[in-house]
Amino acid sequence: MAENGSGSNAWLLALDPSLRAAVGERELIQLIETPTLLEVPLSPYYCRQVLVWNQILLPVMNLANGLRRQPAAPDQSRLAGIFGYQLMPGAKPAYGALLLAGIPERIRVADDQACLLPKRPAGWRAVAIACFKHGGHPIPVLDLPHLFSGALRSVLTSRGNLKGHSASLGAPFTQLWT
Amino acid sequence: MSESNPTGLAAVPDTRSFIRLTLDDRQWLVPRTEAQGLASLLDLDREVRAPHSLGALGIAGEWWPVYCLSGELRRLPGLPAARQVCLLLNNGVDQLGLACDQVDTVTESIHLHPVPVCMTPPDSPILALAVLERGLGCVTTTEQLARRIATFKDDANG
Repeated sequence: MAENGSGSNAWLLALDPSLRAAVGERELIQLIETPTLLEVPLSPYYCRQVLVWNQILLPVMNLANGLRRQPAAPDQSRLAGIFGYQLMPGAKPAYGALLLAGIPERIRVADDQACLLPKRPAGWRAVAIACFKHGGHPIPVLDLPHLFSGALRSVLTSRGNLKGHSASLGAPFTQLWT
Repeated sequence: MSESNPTGLAAVPDTRSFIRLTLDDRQWLVPRTEAQGLASLLDLDREVRAPHSLGALGIAGEWWPVYCLSGELRRLPGLPAARQVCLLLNNGVDQLGLACDQVDTVTESIHLHPVPVCMTPPDSPILALAVLERGLGCVTTTEQLARRIATFKDDANG
């Protein structure tokens, strides 16, 4: 990722018409328009589908539905972003997909933009590793390894007893996305 | 058993030979070695009832409890019109019949994929996924089906 003293590059994601989040520049791998989504029985309502990408099956998460706790019918007509992450440094890359409401916007983020997570939806604490202010709004930074390892499930089954992970939400973005 | 499930709860069957059972619009795959045959539901004796079963089939001197499950493996209280055939499953420990819309042998070459961790509920009966010509197939076993049936509550539809 390109970075210097003035900050780091990131992708601003539209999870739905009003919910925004960000990932590091290198974490967004590909966008797929109107992906072919396959439904998996018994899966959680916010992650009901998979897609085939490079001969592997990726979970397709509707994070907005999950955070808002709004079960909705599976959507076949949206944009999916493929994201890459590592469960630990040096580990083989893993991948997952998020449904998006629009084309991601590339932005620059500086450490002095760090801010607190929005209080609503409440699940941000479990899926965000940091937060920054952009255009006057707090933008949570997604913790993709945590998210795709089932963080949202633990939040939604905890019935309000939310537990964020231990990462510091004030971590400098230049360190976060290296 | 050849491959670990990412959930760590159960192992993927060591086979690439599967029987497909269609329940509603879902395709479930069970190892061919566990499929003992097909039976007609017309012979179902509704007086012989194991918990959560519709009745039982008497075959070769043995009773096979017959269950009717939805595509999401929830218990159905009755037998939908589409359920016309009963697949007999036996793994040497568990022995049961499952009312199905359709049963056939998977002839296409399949590759088994692990179920993504974030979509796997605890005690999921899905051990792997397979992309088939007609959509997604969910790999399970007689043991997993029997375990799921055993967890059904008396007052609910599973």
